[in-house]
Amino acid sequence: MASDVQPKPVKRKPMEWFNLKGKRAGFWAYVVMRLSAVGLVLYLFLHLVILSQLAMGASQWDNFVAMAKSPAFLLLDVILIIGILAHGLNGIRLSLIGFGIGVPSHKLMLWLAVILTVVFSIVSALAIFSEVK
Amino acid sequence: MVEKQLTRERASSWSWILQAFTGVMLVVLLGLHMVVQHFVVEGGLRNYEQVVQYLSNPFVFLLEIAFLIVVTWHALLGVRAIILDLGLKPATERKVTAFLSIVGVVIVAYGVWLSATIVSQGA
Repeated sequence: MASDVQPKPVKRKPMEWFNLKGKRAGFWAYVVMRLSAVGLVLYLFLHLVILSQLAMGASQWDNFVAMAKSPAFLLLDVILIIGILAHGLNGIRLSLIGFGIGVPSHKLMLWLAVILTVVFSIVSALAIFSEVK
Repeated sequence: MVEKQLTRERASSWSWILQAFTGVMLVVLLGLHMVVQHFVVEGGLRNYEQVVQYLSNPFVFLLEIAFLIVVTWHALLGVRAIILDLGLKPATERKVTAFLSIVGVVIVAYGVWLSATIVSQGA
């Protein structure tokens, strides 16, 4: 009988990430976690491919650096930072909860993660665009 | 049957703990990476000469490789979690794990090769 009450691991196929009807804040956090994860993995691959230009010498890389300082590129950097902050801050929250730390205040931590993501994103965006001359 | 299920449950909690552990390490390693590659650099991005000079420091070299290993591990564990949520057969799941492990080794090997090439090319 005891085995009947054991929690079953939740398995959701990607299409179910977008079924937000009647879902609570925790599910939204889950969706943000998954979507930012996919984005960050794609970015990681792109980043590693772009770094291969370093093997092609100084002029190749320095051309890329000049391009990377264009406003359009910096906007992508800001999007990347928003993704990193949302994923990282919520990840810290999930790790704490997973190890049994601060479980009663999981909701407070969720909103803290949201607020810190917004604040740090704005600070980063200002810092990044202050470099544009 | 029960035993097999237990083994699988244990395996999935292992990957979760590893994911949390590498995640916490990433907060430190990615933080360091952002500071040294962008915040302390004039203009926010190192030019070729600065990259070579910086990566020639053995401590920095090892730190960036450590970062690459941890971030690759974390990323591929995440990809694995998404794929395993599809509800595959255990044999297919093992193939997915094996394939992603190979991908991880290839990525890290590429990173070591690239870093070593940059340093040996010099400025």
